[in-house]
Amino acid sequence: MTTRRFTTPQPDDDLAAIAARELPDTDDAEQQLLSWNLHLAARAGLGRSVGLLPSDVVFTEPPLPAS
Amino acid sequence: MLDLVIRDGLIVDGSGLPGRRGDLSISDGKIVAVGGRAGEARRELDAAGRVVAPGFIDPHTHYDAQLCFDPYAFPAIEHGITTVVPGNCSLSLAPLRTDQRDTFSRMFRLIEEMPEAAFDAGVDWRWGESFDGWLDALTGNLALNVAPLVGHSVLRMFVMGPDAQQRPATNDEIAQMSALLRDCLDAGAVGLSTSFVDIDESYRPVPSRWAAPEELDALAGVLGKHGGILQIVHEFYNTDLTIARIETLADLSLRHGITTTLSPIFHSHADRAGVARILDAVGAARARGAAVWPQVQTRPIDISFTLDQRSLMLLTMPSWWQVASIPDRADKLAAVADRRQELVDEMDSLAKRPGGGLGAGGFVVRDVILDRNRDLVGRSIDDIATERGCSHGETLLDLALDEELGTWFIRESIGHDDSEAVGTLLADPHVHVGASDGGAHVGSFSTFGDTGYLFSEFVRTTGSLTLEQAVKKITLDTATIWGLDGRGLLAPGNAADVVVFDADRIGRGPEIASDDFPGDGIRWIRRQEGVDTVVVNGDITWSADDGYVDGARAGVVATR
Repeated sequence: MTTRRFTTPQPDDDLAAIAARELPDTDDAEQQLLSWNLHLAARAGLGRSVGLLPSDVVFTEPPLPAS
Repeated sequence: MLDLVIRDGLIVDGSGLPGRRGDLSISDGKIVAVGGRAGEARRELDAAGRVVAPGFIDPHTHYDAQLCFDPYAFPAIEHGITTVVPGNCSLSLAPLRTDQRDTFSRMFRLIEEMPEAAFDAGVDWRWGESFDGWLDALTGNLALNVAPLVGHSVLRMFVMGPDAQQRPATNDEIAQMSALLRDCLDAGAVGLSTSFVDIDESYRPVPSRWAAPEELDALAGVLGKHGGILQIVHEFYNTDLTIARIETLADLSLRHGITTTLSPIFHSHADRAGVARILDAVGAARARGAAVWPQVQTRPIDISFTLDQRSLMLLTMPSWWQVASIPDRADKLAAVADRRQELVDEMDSLAKRPGGGLGAGGFVVRDVILDRNRDLVGRSIDDIATERGCSHGETLLDLALDEELGTWFIRESIGHDDSEAVGTLLADPHVHVGASDGGAHVGSFSTFGDTGYLFSEFVRTTGSLTLEQAVKKITLDTATIWGLDGRGLLAPGNAADVVVFDADRIGRGPEIASDDFPGDGIRWIRRQEGVDTVVVNGDITWSADDGYVDGARAGVVATR
């Protein structure tokens, strides 16, 4: 059993900050992060700096391939 | 002389061991002897040909409001339920400050789908603000046992006020919440509930969702020191998120030595592998030594609704949700007329969404207001739309408008309806049977009868569980997971919570409309089938012959 890597937002985090921290060597990391977290993308009002909750799960890798 | 003897039944004691024929002896609210031949008693019941089992325990309910005006939690008891756990999903009626009642009430009524009139008429807040005050108000006024959770959202509201839905807590506020939780546990709470999914009437996340991991960790630490379970409602519609929450619960369980439970877990046609992955995650947590119990309900998902009021079915249709939220009927009808095309398009778009399973064509007319529409009852919207040459959305809207939005529709078997798969899931030793949502969602579906359905569908029809395994799942397993010592097992010295039933007949009756709640409107309920007698702490509280015993108040606050 494998679990997708995830993190939770730190104080004042937005997706850009999480992307910079978790995916420092990835081009367009924020967009990648958003595409891996459609549950956040779908949330009304989500922008570059709003919408994340302290209890949110933010996946830092894409969905795992089906086994 | 004994108080009560239940003679010559098949005693299925909750342990999972094979049943055995004999008598059950009861005195002073306790079980005195199990099996053998009992002496004389003031009252005797003949249970020949019947099963004698521990009373069933329902671990996921929202009877908080109903218990304020209905000590029986009608019709839970007649299904064999003798203990319920209210306060799930971060919402309990206490502790709560006086000036927070309106805010909380709106939140509770929306999330748990409790009609405003019933809630307001029934919840009189006579206990004041404290959790022990609420328990005092219940004590002596219960026909069944209550093992209450305290809600994380209300803890936050009590300590942080409006900021509870705006920001993480400070260290000082976390310390205050921890002290408050400790007080609640000392008063009799069996644990803490939290939510990662719910929203209030303004689409704002409930307070518990604003908690940083450090806050939940601190509260879990209190549970570890003072004894309590952690219940969460998670993102049950997403397997990856569910697995992430399981991992978090496992960490909390191991760090603080607590038992955790998450609810609900559903079997889905759209993601058949999802349940297997979730169980793998639970198994991995178990292998680490963590106590993580996923709750699985027995019944398939059916949702009834009108277009007149907010409903689970309208959650994914924002325009409909807005219209249904308009309180004045004339204004609502005017809004439907003004926004007709937008509403039709939104309804028609359902079938185009991924999966498409919730397309409006699958809705069925459940009940109508006007006689001229009576022949539509039981027909699908797809069928009627084809006949009329209209889209699904147009058909639904026109029919509802013809009846001023009073038409009842139902979408059956939305999921969790593959009995073989669900039966396998229920039989899994890592799965906890629960998630009935008892007392909630009153206009969407009946939350009553899940225990009967466990036997009728998964013991008698699919054979997924034996009679003894099914009884154990909803008695001793539940009591053990929740730390309800002295319940869930027929053994000398334990509380005399007992249900007598016919193993060949126990089930759930049809879903029917009931207007028994305060205020207008109906709720959906199911009556029992095949249950003979229910005993709570030694008192016969319901029987098939006499119904609910007037004045029965043997229920207690069941603490750990």
